[in-house]
This record gives sequence, structure tokens and C-alpha cells, in this order.
Amino acid sequence: MKYFYIAVLFLSGLLLATPAAARIKLVALPDRENTFVRLDHPDITLIQEERTLPLHKGINKIDFSWKGVHIDPDSIRLAILQHPDSTRLINVSYPPNEQALVWEIFSSENRQEKIRISYLLKNIDRVITYEAKTNQQESRLDLSSYLVLRNFSGESFASALFQLDYGKDFEKGILDGETRRMLFFDAANLDIRKVFTFDAGIHPWEPQKQTHTVGIPVSYELENVKGNQLGQHALWGGKVRIFQNDASKSSIFLGEDMADFTPVGQKMTLHIGDSRDLSVTQHKITEERSNIRRNRNDHIVLYDSNEEIRIEIENFKDTPATLKIIEPMQGEWEIRKSSHDFKHINSKEIEFELTVPAKDKTTVMYKYVRLNVRG
Amino acid sequence: MLKPLHILFTGLLVCSTAVEAKIDLVTLPARDKTQLTIYNSADLTLVREQRTLTLKKGLNRLEFGWENTLIDPTSVQLYAPGNEDKVRLLEVNFPANITGSAVWSIESDIDGPVPVEITFFTSGINWQAFYMGTLSKDERHMQLDGYVTIRNHSGEDYENASTRVIVGKVHLLDEIMALAGRKSPYNRPGTPQYRPLTRDEPAVKMEAYRAMGIAEDMAVAASMAPKAIVKEGLSEYFLYSIEGTENIPDGWGKRLPSFSVDKIPVKNLYRYEEERYGKSTQRLVIFKNDDAHLLGKEPLPDGNIKVFKQVSKDLQLAYVGHVNNKYIPIDQEVELDFGAARDVKIDPVLMTEKTDNYRFNRNGDISGFDRNQQWEIKLENNRDIPVRIEVLRNFNTSHWKIQNKAGNKGKLEKIDIDTVKYTLEIPAYSNTTLSYAITFYEGERQNVH
Repeated sequence: MKYFYIAVLFLSGLLLATPAAARIKLVALPDRENTFVRLDHPDITLIQEERTLPLHKGINKIDFSWKGVHIDPDSIRLAILQHPDSTRLINVSYPPNEQALVWEIFSSENRQEKIRISYLLKNIDRVITYEAKTNQQESRLDLSSYLVLRNFSGESFASALFQLDYGKDFEKGILDGETRRMLFFDAANLDIRKVFTFDAGIHPWEPQKQTHTVGIPVSYELENVKGNQLGQHALWGGKVRIFQNDASKSSIFLGEDMADFTPVGQKMTLHIGDSRDLSVTQHKITEERSNIRRNRNDHIVLYDSNEEIRIEIENFKDTPATLKIIEPMQGEWEIRKSSHDFKHINSKEIEFELTVPAKDKTTVMYKYVRLNVRG
Repeated sequence: MLKPLHILFTGLLVCSTAVEAKIDLVTLPARDKTQLTIYNSADLTLVREQRTLTLKKGLNRLEFGWENTLIDPTSVQLYAPGNEDKVRLLEVNFPANITGSAVWSIESDIDGPVPVEITFFTSGINWQAFYMGTLSKDERHMQLDGYVTIRNHSGEDYENASTRVIVGKVHLLDEIMALAGRKSPYNRPGTPQYRPLTRDEPAVKMEAYRAMGIAEDMAVAASMAPKAIVKEGLSEYFLYSIEGTENIPDGWGKRLPSFSVDKIPVKNLYRYEEERYGKSTQRLVIFKNDDAHLLGKEPLPDGNIKVFKQVSKDLQLAYVGHVNNKYIPIDQEVELDFGAARDVKIDPVLMTEKTDNYRFNRNGDISGFDRNQQWEIKLENNRDIPVRIEVLRNFNTSHWKIQNKAGNKGKLEKIDIDTVKYTLEIPAYSNTTLSYAITFYEGERQNVH
């Protein structure tokens, strides 16, 4: 409470005559009683603090000042908690060149009144980080979530009740400039799925022609559902570091990713690294025009293009691999023949999902027509 | 000079009441064991230390510092193996106005000494694979020696550390070096949690090392009996564990033999593909990372390979060249590309070109025609060994028809819509010609073919 204080000025004829520049601020303030730090908004933190003011009958001036504290002045609100009918906020005034305001409160009698001041405070927030460990088969995951409180707001909180949008409220003190990391929740043995993804719109079609080994991204998919011991609340986005046990009772680091905010029922996808033991080579095998239409000058104005794609996948690993292949599509297209089932993702993408057996090769072929190509 | 690892554990045995009141300031006992797991796709090393902490029942507070190190403070974790339920790291507090220091709150159900493991990420240690190949005189076989070179520029001396290296490409959001240098370990609110990597990390790292005046070729470890390297596949990575422990002082490099295979059968391949190599013939040495080639036990990590050739019986060598080989999975073919060849020539020559089948539009302008070309690919092997040859022809159009001349050696196959490939073998000191006729369809003629 270095810079942040409330002064209660008792209204009298003398004080009223005092010019604003020479305002007297009483520093003997009532202490904060309850402080709530609400961290449910992703960008900004709401502080609510309760204090008991000794009010006199008549008009009282309450000076609220926040020098050096990152308060959003337009967000400051005052609520009268005990006698809202007979205690009223009359007006708010702002002294020049000061980070302060003065509330004028009317009280019908001399009494102690509990108030709640709320405001948005910048540079105090929380981030979530995760640490996870997978089993040898990469089918299960132990997940620990950490809450990191960061306070660079200019204001210290000796003790406050921290409120998140889920989980229990907890009491903690945090000084200005301090960062605290604490265990938030633990969940063991969660089901995960390991998926390899080849995106023909991004990855090179002929990896052997590249000067470096082309990696196929590897991800874990974790479902935030009740059947998977989660599904109680959304999982906040944050950095996830993933480890795996090895044969010598130690562990290795597999990789890290920034998890997206994952609501209940949704899937969290974590890109851990790139596999160089899976190779995907893609070729266009045919491209032929049909249904050619011409204008009066005999120029081609419209045609269909019949094309065929061949994708060869080689799995050098001694375990099967679940591979997603994303194929970009252009214009008005129709798939005419396909060696594997595919999913229509949107107007510009289809997706194959297949399992490539260990130490084996698989070929995916599909024929499609691009309709009504302008000549 | 022996420097302790700068993770200093000082305050211990603080009673569970006041945070600031440090009682019984105790320096921790030395590390019992240290394990380094070094990555090469990023400047990252996972350090695992085993120490014995003397804890009191209840809440214990412990201070650690990482100033002047390359440690990522957000990565520091503490576990009590076997006592996970009894000893838990509840909170890490990074105090205001103190950089490079944090206070741990550890809850313990145990009163007395507890073995714990402390893990964290550091930067400044890297490793690389290095190979030396020796071709036999007839170039049918190659001896291949693989090495692992570890370099330590972390500012720390690692003594008696069990050392492991990881082959694989991890996904990383931040450079560990950047995290180590942060004033606030988790950054301040309003700043992005991580800065996406934009630079090629190994390049940045090598640049930094060069700036530090460290030569690329490091001193080789004092010779002793070579240590075994135990290899294990994990997820998409391969873990090489070096037998015993190593001393790797700051600024030093160490090269350890990883494997040695005597007689790998190799093929000599010469390839011609204008789209890829221009008008030169490329020399490649090919073998497979499998059992048949006396390999196949582990992937071969990417690294520099220097190849020599035996030229006489008294083990005189000639230098063939060096290449940076790509990562080679088990069972994949390795192509070592030694650049332009001098003694094998591949020269495609256009012999004739004629046009016909003209089409005209209503205005009498040309709307299409066929272009007929005759090609001869002249192949010369001026070597004393038979060689395998691949000629790829790229046409940059999908409207063509090829006629392979009867009597041509080898095999012709279509690779994709605009590429064909000839594959053949020719004996020592011989030449041959591949002839083909090709028709390219232009304009309107493309709609028929």
C-alpha cells in the first residue's frame, strides 16, 4: 500500500473553502478488509475491495488516489453495502493533474459503513502452464496444470481471495513485482491419441529432393470430456511441456506447444515435434481436359480438368502410425474415385485418415474433376 | 577450474510461519548424481540432478538462484521419486526486485533426509553426429564410423555427468537462452507468453559460439577404451546413452565413437536431372540403413560425413569429398551426394525438331500444332568400375507422348505428369546412347491429347 490510499475527509465549512490544489488528504485510512482478485477475463483483472468507512451525518468526501498503480480510472465503481437507502453517492470529482478522485457521500447519520470499491487493474494477471508425461505407448498422459500469478500492477496485496472461472477460490498474497507458480490441478492416466499430419498445401511433395529431412508433424489429441476424467470445465490455453519416461527410470523431453483454450467437449491438440521416420511423397499422375466449350471465335471458354493424385507413405517405425493427410482442393471440385475414405472438411480441403502399419508402405490414390474451369 | 553449477540451494528448514524469517540457513549437500540429456535440433539440455534434502514435516521453504547461468527458471521442477505423495512442490515464488532467485514451498510428510530429483532446462550444450567413410578400392564397400561430438559452452563445468543425447526434432516455442535471460521468468502481463522462433536455431547458436572464439573442431577426448553407447527408441526420438559418466568442462568438446561398420555394400550411382542439378552429372554413393547393409539398428542422425577412398594396399587414402547427410530412418536408403562427377558423363542432345498437325482457327491463325523431337542421351563411363545411372527428364507440361527406341538399355518409367526416368547400369570404360522420340502437343492439340 505504498501509493494507494483512500482518505476520508470530513466535511466542514473550513475545508470547503480550501482550494483543490491544497487538498488535505487524511492518510489514516480504514484498512482493506476483504479483497477479491477476479481473474476470469483473459485480458484484464477486476479487483473488488471492501472497507469500512467512518461516516458522519451529512456529506463526506472520500479521496481515492492511485499514483503509480495501473488502474483504469473509468472502471472505478463504488457500492454501499450496508445502508444503501440512507447512504448515497452524490457525485464524483476529479482533481487536476492527479491520479485520484473524490467521492461525495451523503450519510443520514454518524455510522460505520461498509463499501466495496471495484476497478480494473492492469499488469496483474494469471497464466496457465502445463506439464505432461506420457507412457511408453503414448496412449496415456499424466497432466499437471500450474497457475502462475504475475503482479506488476504497482500495487501489493498482502492477502486476497483469487477467483477464477473454475476451481475453488483461494487466498494468497502477492507483492508488486512478484510472480508465483502453484499447482492448480493434477489428472493422471488421461487417454490421448497420437496423430501424424501431412498437409499437401504446406509440406513438400517430393521430400527426397529437399536438402534436409522433411519432418511430419506429430501431435497428441486430448479430449476435454467426462469420459476422460476431465470435462468439468474449460482448459485454459497455455504452454504445455511434454515428457516421457525412458527405460532407465529417467525421462526425456518430447516437446512443447501452446495449447488453445479448450472448452468442455472439445479436443486439445498439442504439436510435440516432427517425425522423420515417416515419409510422404505426392505426385500428380494425370491432368486431362474434357467437356470443352468454345465461343463463336472457337476459343475455349470453359472446360473440366480430370486429375489424379498418388500419395505414397512409408513408415520406417516399428509401430503403426495414424496419419492425417490434408489435400487442398481448387475451384468447383468433385471426387470421382478414391482408394481410401475421406472427410470433406470445407470447400478447399479434404482429409484422409489412415493407419500405416509398422515398417510398411501405403499408397493413397484419388481422382477428381475440377469443373467449369475458365479458359 | 572447477565451478559449481550455479543452482544454489540455500535457505532450508524454515518453519511454516513467516515467509521472510529464514532460520537455519543451510547449504544443500552436493549433487549425488547428474544426468544430461542433450538435444541437437534446438539449444536445449535437460539436466536431472539427484540430491538429498533434509526436510521437516510440514511446509519447508527453499531458495534457489540461477543468476549467470543459461537455465530456464520456469522449467525447474522437484520430485521425490518413491515419495511423490509425501513430498510435493506446492509453489514457486519469484520475488519482486530480485532477479535470478526464487523460493520453493515444499510440503513434506517426512521428517528427515529425502532423496529428490531436480530437473531443469539449460542451453549452451550441444551435440552433433559426425561420420567418416572409407570406400574400398573397387568402391563396392565402405567402412563407416559414426561419432557423437558434444560441446559445452554453457558456462558450467559438468563433472561425472551421465550423458545422453537425443536424435530428433522437438517442437519448441522459445529459445531456452532467451528464457534464461528474462528479467521476469514468466514475463510481464501484456507481453506475449512466448516469442515464436523465427531464426534457424542451430545457425544462431553456432554464430554465438563462433563469436565466443570457439573453434569448430574441438579437442578429442583423451584416448581410453572406447565407451559403449546404448541406443533406445522413444516416441519420435532416439536416445543415445553413453556408458558411465563424463567430465565435460566449459568450453570443451568431446568426440565419442558411436558405431563402426566394416564392409557396407554400396552402389555408385550417377544421376542427371536438369531441374535439380543443372547440366552436370551428380555422383552419389548409395546404401541402405538396414540389416543387409550391416546397419539398421538405429537411425543415422544428420551430420557431416567425410569420405575417403583406399587407393593402394598400404592403406594410402584419397579424399572423395564431404557432405551433410540428412537424417536416415531405419530401412531407408541413404544417398550421399558428392556433387558434380568428372569421369562419368551424361549428355542429352536434341537431334531433330519438326512440327506438324497444325490447327487453325476461324481467322486463319494457328491454334495448335505438334512438336516432334528426337533425343539422344549419350552416356560415358570413364571409370574402372561399373556404374548405375539414372536420367530424369522433366518436360514442364502434361501434354506429351514418348516413344522409347527399341534396343535402348535399361528401363524407362513415368514418375509423374511431367517426368520420366531411365535407369540402367553400364560397365567400366564403356559408353552407350539412349534414344527417344517425344511429341509435345501445343495449343488446340492439347485438347485431343
